[in-house]
Amino acid sequence: MLYLSVEKIRTSAYASFTDTISQTDLIVGSRTSSIQLLLYSVFRIGNATNNITWESYEDIISREEVKWSVPISLGDSHKGFRVMGTTDEYFTRYKYRGGQSLEIQNGEHLDDLYDVVLGASVTEKLGYKIGDPLIIAHGLSSFSKHEDQPFKVSGILKKTGTPVDNTVIVSLEAIEAIHVDWSSGAKTPGLETPIEIIRQMDLTPKNISGVLIGVNSKLQIFKLQRWVNEYSEEPLSAILPGVALQELWRVVGVVENVLIGISIVVIFTTLIGMTAIIFSSLNERRREMAIWRAMGATPTVILGLLMLEAFIVSFLSSVISTIFLFLLLIILQPWIDQTYGILISIEMFSVDELSVFVYFILAALLISLLPALRAYWLSINDGMTIKI
Amino acid sequence: MRFITFLIFLNFLNTAINAEETRQVDQHEHGVGELNIAIDGSVIDFEFMLPGADIVGFEYEAKSDEDIVKVNEALAMLDNYKNIFSLPVNSNCKLSTSQISLKEEEHDEHEEHEEESHNEFYAKYSFSCGNIQEIDRIEFTYFKTFANSSELEVQFISNVGSTSFEVEGDAPFILTEGKI
Repeated sequence: MLYLSVEKIRTSAYASFTDTISQTDLIVGSRTSSIQLLLYSVFRIGNATNNITWESYEDIISREEVKWSVPISLGDSHKGFRVMGTTDEYFTRYKYRGGQSLEIQNGEHLDDLYDVVLGASVTEKLGYKIGDPLIIAHGLSSFSKHEDQPFKVSGILKKTGTPVDNTVIVSLEAIEAIHVDWSSGAKTPGLETPIEIIRQMDLTPKNISGVLIGVNSKLQIFKLQRWVNEYSEEPLSAILPGVALQELWRVVGVVENVLIGISIVVIFTTLIGMTAIIFSSLNERRREMAIWRAMGATPTVILGLLMLEAFIVSFLSSVISTIFLFLLLIILQPWIDQTYGILISIEMFSVDELSVFVYFILAALLISLLPALRAYWLSINDGMTIKI
Repeated sequence: MRFITFLIFLNFLNTAINAEETRQVDQHEHGVGELNIAIDGSVIDFEFMLPGADIVGFEYEAKSDEDIVKVNEALAMLDNYKNIFSLPVNSNCKLSTSQISLKEEEHDEHEEHEEESHNEFYAKYSFSCGNIQEIDRIEFTYFKTFANSSELEVQFISNVGSTSFEVEGDAPFILTEGKI
């Protein structure tokens, strides 16, 4: 059962992991490794090596292959949660779990310049309600805050089980707005542009961290990818999310093997335990065996009986563990999905998983041969004579 | 003396001007070819980028008769996609267009450096299929046709999503069931 649970969690974790982003054809960022680009643009881990200039972004989206594009801008934070600047299109274009869209649980999308939409976990941990004020900190772990420009919670997203849950979403213009009086990483002293004036300024961003892109036809993706990678004005990288996810999983996959290893060890200990029990029961059954023999059973029958016992035990334990596993899954599935964002699929076993049962029972039979053979030899002349 | 200083200054200026141009060099690994597969509707596109070393055994510009023959032979081999890969028969795929070329990339960085060139074979095949869902396995005869090759890095995209494969000579196929 442990083996099967581990298997279930392993395959489900992989599925959830690859489901983090779907229907985005390309992610473009500054020239970097595909894994890093994926990590910061989708998983909000780590940072961009460089930003993309707005001019390059406009160049990219003016290509005929591009159907839609969502720019994102990262770098600021709020109480340990990443702040992401983006456009309203993010809510309709970002898809997860094979095409599910982000849904607003409460409130509405970004409307005003100082509106913010919170991910489900952010709200859960910080206890925000619609209309609450909120201050964004400059950088990821600095004490300088954008106190002069407070934001207002306008919407809260439904739980998705993706990194979006941990994200504070604002508009691209807002990111630009809070940095109006800032230069080279610090606020210029004495300078404070009033909010009314900022609202009237041209807040087109000068640079962004990355772009999510959808193309008109899948057949054009590689052409666009090559064009971006060879773009001579600025070193850029374009990656296919699925390809990068798989590369990343190959790195994480070591843990997967460890899990499999642990479950195999567990199966072994189970088998050894079972044999030990049959062995120790042999002594107590000497008279029983003797009676069988006296009734006319051949030693082969004794051998068969013990193996039958092993078969029944292993078969029943497989059946019971399956029932138990499914019961557990049905009870725990919503909870695991809510807390860890891993959707464990409850479906019948695959052929591979069923074959595990067959191997387990075969192994049990094989290993029960040891006590059975011992009984076979002993039963030939043992127990008939009563020793006092 | 002043003239010499001026010359030195000019020299620096010159280097600075030279540095202005963007210089980028594509990565290139011998033994590893790249393949992009894209599927949309009933169309499937294959796009191969194969290092010259894998195909003809050299990457300099073919000048001798012997080398030119080799390149032409290779191009002829690539012309028939069946020498490179095969699709399941019941998918009913028909080749609609193909494009084969030899890309010569030269980087003569400065005169004092040795000239370096990397030839790359480019092949693109476009199919339209009667039953594209039937493509569950793509076999690569490529490794047999070109013995110097050892690996293909595949980027794969369809409406289901994108994924990647690494194909090597000892298991020359990819399984695409559920991915189209």
